[in-house]
Amino acid sequence: MSERFKYVEDREMFSAARVKALEALLIEKGIISSEAVDKVIGYFETDMGPFNGAKVVARAWVDPEYKARLLKDTPAAVAEMNFPRGMTGVEGEEMKAVENTSDVHNLIVCTLCSCYPWPLLGLPPYWFKDPSFRARSVREPRAVLKEFGLELDDSVEVRVWDSSAQIRYFVLPERPAGTEGFTEEQLAALLTPEAMQGAAKVKVG
Amino acid sequence: MKLQQYLGGLEGLNDPIDFDTRVFAEPWEKRIFAIHVSMMGLSNHLEGIQDIPSNFDSKYTWADLRERAESMHPFDYFKFRYYEKWVGGVADFLIKGGYINEEEWDAKTAVYLNNADEQLPSVSEPAIDHQVIEYLRKGDSLYRESDRKPQFSAGETVLVRNNHVMLHTRLPGFVRSQKGVIEIVYEGNYTYPNSTGTDGIGEPMPVYCVRFDPKDIWGEHVESKSMIYVDIYEAYMDKLAQ
Repeated sequence: MSERFKYVEDREMFSAARVKALEALLIEKGIISSEAVDKVIGYFETDMGPFNGAKVVARAWVDPEYKARLLKDTPAAVAEMNFPRGMTGVEGEEMKAVENTSDVHNLIVCTLCSCYPWPLLGLPPYWFKDPSFRARSVREPRAVLKEFGLELDDSVEVRVWDSSAQIRYFVLPERPAGTEGFTEEQLAALLTPEAMQGAAKVKVG
Repeated sequence: MKLQQYLGGLEGLNDPIDFDTRVFAEPWEKRIFAIHVSMMGLSNHLEGIQDIPSNFDSKYTWADLRERAESMHPFDYFKFRYYEKWVGGVADFLIKGGYINEEEWDAKTAVYLNNADEQLPSVSEPAIDHQVIEYLRKGDSLYRESDRKPQFSAGETVLVRNNHVMLHTRLPGFVRSQKGVIEIVYEGNYTYPNSTGTDGIGEPMPVYCVRFDPKDIWGEHVESKSMIYVDIYEAYMDKLAQ
């Protein structure tokens, strides 16, 4: 059998050593510093992540005027929030919110790879990068969503957005029933990256 | 054509999708991700980069990693996990750029394989760290002011071209040679970090959001009531013959 059909032994240990070696060489050669990698990792834990998108959605749920502004000019509406600087940073230079309603369900995909709105949602999860998801979501989005546990009524129109140029999309999901008295903070806590990419509904409890 | 550029709609990948919500599957994946981001943040096309004390002196952007992912043997593309592909892509750029060589990479790998606790070298350079985070915050927008006016208008039906791709494209295979309706004409022009040659992008040009009916692409048997929206550079579009 060809080598092409085999993985190296100790696949993860090998990759870990390979990457550590790469980082060490880059430090030794004065390309990066020994802190650069940890700082980047930390940035996505504290400053950029799905916690930002959750706040934007929660605000849109409680403030119809904000929602209208968000759908019309997403970057301007995001800039109104009290976020760390960087919301128009890498992979957020152009972002666009699309709204789910009782008649329309949106699903985001990047069939060419993994474009994703980093400042608001952080980094893409594995399902989003899965070649099967990228192959099937454009051709049979209802079947894919059903596998994810989201069954759509036949009357609902599905819109699939393929992020192939400058825009990074995210979904403004429907506010779930039973959240009438919730604060913005409580609402934000209900949101998941999956809901903000159209792969799940927002659930209470 | 390359299979990786034609994934959308591809038949045969019918196993249930692994609804794995993890961003990283292994700790080392975080580090190759951050190495790639650091290199993009030190790319020599960025403003003010000349003052940063790094020995990296290449233009390095998403386009370079994407080119490499699309250049892979399709079997390897499916065989390897997402960040395994990144390791190969990032290392290929560094080797071809003369920053590292295979032998020293292999030797260093052996050191860490023999002793996973062996520490990384310690060389602080706060100016590099600051630059990388600043890059993340500022971004690297593809937007360009330009006199080039869009040749198509909202509501118009257009024909998507099928330009020959030698290396890299931003046009998904499933919309090639298809008719679509322009939903949005984006304001301004957008460039691409690298020229894609015969594929046609790289210079500032208008970009459109184009709507496609999956029934036009795959036939009447596909699911009802769905639409696909794809952002498409003007170089990928033709007027519809009357």
